[in-house]
Parts: sequence; C-alpha cells; structure tokens
Amino acid sequence: MKAELHIARRYLIGIRRRTHVATVTLISLVGLALGVLALVVTLALLEGFQSGIRNELVARAAHVRISPAEGRRLERPDQLASVLQSALPNVELVRVVQGTGLVSSDADAVPASVVGRSDAVVAGVDQLLAAKIGVAIGDEVEVISPRHRLTPMGLLPVRTRLRVEQIQPAEPGSESGTIRLPLSSAQRLLWGEPAVEAIELRYPGDPWRLAGRARRALGDSAAGLRVEGLEELHRPLLVALALERVMIFVAVGLMLVVAALNLLSNVAMVAAEKRTDLAVLSGLGLPPSSLRRLFVLIGLGIGSSGAVLGAALGVAVAMALDATGALPLPRGVFLASSVPFRVDPRMVAVVVALALVLSAAVSWLPSRMVARREPAEGLRYE
Amino acid sequence: MSERAIVRLRGVTKGYGAAATRVEVLRDLDLDVERGELLAVIGPSGVGKSTLLHLVGLLDRPEGGSLELDGGRVGELDGEARASLRNRLIGFVFQHHHLLDELDARDNVALPLRIGGWSARRARARADELLESVALTERASHFPDQLSGGEQQRVAVARALAASPRLLLADEPTGNLDHANAELLFALIRELHLMAGLTSIIVTHNEAMARRCDRIFRLAPQGERSGYVRTI
Repeated sequence: MKAELHIARRYLIGIRRRTHVATVTLISLVGLALGVLALVVTLALLEGFQSGIRNELVARAAHVRISPAEGRRLERPDQLASVLQSALPNVELVRVVQGTGLVSSDADAVPASVVGRSDAVVAGVDQLLAAKIGVAIGDEVEVISPRHRLTPMGLLPVRTRLRVEQIQPAEPGSESGTIRLPLSSAQRLLWGEPAVEAIELRYPGDPWRLAGRARRALGDSAAGLRVEGLEELHRPLLVALALERVMIFVAVGLMLVVAALNLLSNVAMVAAEKRTDLAVLSGLGLPPSSLRRLFVLIGLGIGSSGAVLGAALGVAVAMALDATGALPLPRGVFLASSVPFRVDPRMVAVVVALALVLSAAVSWLPSRMVARREPAEGLRYE
Repeated sequence: MSERAIVRLRGVTKGYGAAATRVEVLRDLDLDVERGELLAVIGPSGVGKSTLLHLVGLLDRPEGGSLELDGGRVGELDGEARASLRNRLIGFVFQHHHLLDELDARDNVALPLRIGGWSARRARARADELLESVALTERASHFPDQLSGGEQQRVAVARALAASPRLLLADEPTGNLDHANAELLFALIRELHLMAGLTSIIVTHNEAMARRCDRIFRLAPQGERSGYVRTI
C-alpha cells in the first residue's frame, strides 16, 4: 500500500506539469467541489426550514399524549396523573378534553376544534380561527356543542358564550382552527361531567425521548393506554419532512454523480497517458491489485480535494447567508424573517463520504482495465 | 539441456493479432540460459527480440510451449505471483529509460524496493549506494528531464539492480545513446553483471557489443528460415 500511496501522491503532485491532464483534473475537481457545495448548501437550507418547523412543534405541541386505547375517556385520570408526576417531577402535565363545535361570532360561524386544558385559565382562539370568524381580543364568541340537553323547550344543543382573552399562533399543520378553554368549561360543553380524555406531557429539555420515559414510568399501568410521543403524534408531518430531505438529497446528489463521471474520464485519461509508466511499474513488480489501488487512490486524491473544498465553501456560504439574513422572506408567511440555513455536521460528513465513495467507484473502472493488461502491451504501445 | 539453466524455454510460440492480420513472431523456440551467463540476443527489427525478452521477463504470456525460471514453471502463475517474481528475480533495462518523470533519480531507483515492501528510508539508502555505483551520487535529487540520456540509462541500470535480482534483462539499452555513452553503459552493465553474479540477457543491434558477451543468440525472420538460428 505504501508504494501505491507514494506513486499516487507523486502523480497527483506532478499533474500540474502536464497541461491537458491538469486542465481536465481541475475541471473534475471543480465539478466535484460544486456538487458538494450545492448539496451542502441545499441540505443546510432544508435543515434550516425543517428545524424551524420541528422547533415550533416542540414549542407549541404536546410532547406526549396519553389517551385510552379504547373509548374516549380515561379511567382514573387523577391516579394516572399522580403516578406520572411522581415519576417525572419536572414534566408539565395537562389534562385535556377535545371535541368539535360550532364557533360563531357576529360576523361568521365555522366548525372548529374545541380544546379544554387544565393549564388554560381564560378562553383563547388561534390565529387561524380568529381570522376565519373575524374576532379580536375582547370580542365575544359562542360555542355550540354537538351534545344536547333536554329543556322545557325540547332538545337543545349545549352552548356557551365566552370572551376571547387570548389569540395564539396556530399549531403547525392545523387547518380548522382551535378554540382553547379552561378544562371545566370544556368538560361542561363536551361531556357535561368532569371527564378527561387525555393527559398531555411537555418537557422541553428532552421532548423526543419523553414518550419512552413516560412508558417506563407507567409500567403495567400503561396497559389499556395509548402513549404517543412527538413522532407518533406528528408522523405524517415528520415523514413528509424526512421524505422531502431524501428527495432533495437524491435530486441534488445527481449533480455529484455527474461530477464523478467527469472524474472517470479524468482518471481514464491519466491511465491512457501513463500507459507505458504503468507497464514499467508492473514490470518492476507492482502487482495488479496494487495497480487497481493506485488508480483508486488517484481518483480519491482528486475526489477528496474537491469534496473538502466544496464542503468548506458550502459550510461557509450557508453560515454566511444565515448570519447576514441575506435572503429575506415575506413577513407573516414564514416563521423566519429570512431564509434560514442550518449546517448539520452529520449531513456534511455524509455528503463528503458520498463524494469519496463515488470517486473511488468511478476510479475502479479504469483501474480494472489497467490491471488486466499484460505489461508488455503498455511497452509495445510506446 | 543444462541443469544450471536459470531460464528454460521449450517450444515457445507467440504471435500478435488474429486471423488475417495475425503475425507469428516466435515459433517453437527453445532456449536455455545458464546461471552467470551474459547472453546477447541479436537479429533484425521485428524478428521478436523484445517479445522474447518480454516472455522471459514475465511481461507477456506465451501462446504455446513452456517457460521455466529459476527451476520453476511460471506458465500457470497468476498476475500477483508473476509480479512478485518479477520484483524479486528480474531486473529490467529498457531502450528508453522509462524512468518515472514524477520521481527523482533516487526515488526511481528505490521504486522496486518500495514495491517490495521496503521502508522509504531503507530504500533510499540502498538507492544512494546504487547511484554511487553508477557514478551518479550528485544527481540523486535530479528528475529524469534534468538528466542526460546516458545518465538516465545509468539510473535505469541502478533501478534494475535495486532489488538484487538474479536475472538482468536489457532491451537495447544502448539504442538511444551515442557511441561513447553506449560503450560506457555496456561496460557498466558488464561490470555489474560480474560483480553481482547476475545472469544477463541483452537484446542489441550492435554486433560488436554482442561479440563481447559470453554467447550470442541470433533470431532470424520467420519468412527466411523456419524457427530460429542459434550461434554460439
């Protein structure tokens, strides 16, 4: 291996003295660098947007939801809450009921999600619902439940009038709008008794692993319960984000494949130009396996230079664009004010590794051709 | 057939091309080269001198017949084993020096040793000794394009001897040199041949030089005579 490494290094250093090979090598190197740069910047952009979405999810949504596996209401919710609170003392715990109601204002009436939470002390609507029915803080809304009660005038839907005290941002992925009520108000409206449909947990310190901790804390009590973490609660969104990342990676990664094919022609050119040298090396005792390695090393040398250059430039460009906010976004449409870039070192490592694997793979083909030749062919070629 | 033969060819055939374009260069060739012998191979251009050297040097494979080197049949060896044998047993000097442009004289000479697994330091030390033996110590750090034709060939000779081979194969080593340099190089090869106890086969067009070898092996064109003619 040492001999091949020595020769490959000398060949790569000596390339600059051979104008046409140097030009093609430079093109290969720049092509690979651009491919890596494009991939790193694109993935940083994607990660910027996606981490924004994930952060919003963590900031606003429940991290774990515990609900009955069958039926709508939890049995013995207070006992369950007591077990969870003693096992997970720093975790926020909220009792929840949830249903659908007709929410009306003076202007309009729309079906919306009605949520009662034990941590809510006043009524509030999210921005989506506020926009739909045209209400602001201080306005009154009426919520009509699908539940009925018998009155002297016959069956009438249960309804309540509330003053909007808060307007909250809409949850990511929400489409219908939500009105949030104190738990007791929502229980009266949706159940007519102090039922609890679910217990939600939040722990910003480690939200993604909270479900596991909750399952362990519940132990045997978890039987008959559905314990869902962030990944289960938001599976469609998270799968869509992961799929988007894979598709973008594949699409932009094709650039890298094209650049690698250019490297193939480069290495093949070196193989043709050095045909006699290779025959001499073989004559001196360099075995076919070492000849193959020599060419893979040459390809890797060019590929790694391009990959490292591209990765360094890509990281620098992404960080500079993020730090300067050079690409502003329309206010109110996106969560961020400018296009966010977030460099994930693991992704950079994956991109560099991909570039190296491609470089080695495309160098393998000319290396096989070279290694199959009898040395005398190269000497006759002279 | 001598038991002292280090090279033994029996019924060796080799041609190039296929069907209508086929040219048979060697047919049913028998040859023994004894240990310590300095053999000259002569003949007109295209008669197969270099092909013979390539076959003996394991740079090519015969189409028919058998080849033994140092008492072992080498026809069935795979590429890796042939390469290993070339590295340990055989030293080559070509008509064109065939030094690697990217390496200086020292590294060129050290190359067979690096291929053979020597450390860089040991290989370079050995290369320096060999460059001294061909009177090129002061040129050790020069690249091939900074050396004269004679110096390039002397470096090539030093490289051929680096791994202490038992068999030296030289394909018209003086073909590209002027008379003075050719004489100098031939004298050097003879001296190293004797000092290192080598068996050497030299392909040459130079009859005078060939006569100074232990034996002459003359190849004739296939069209003029069948087979080959051997003259001792």
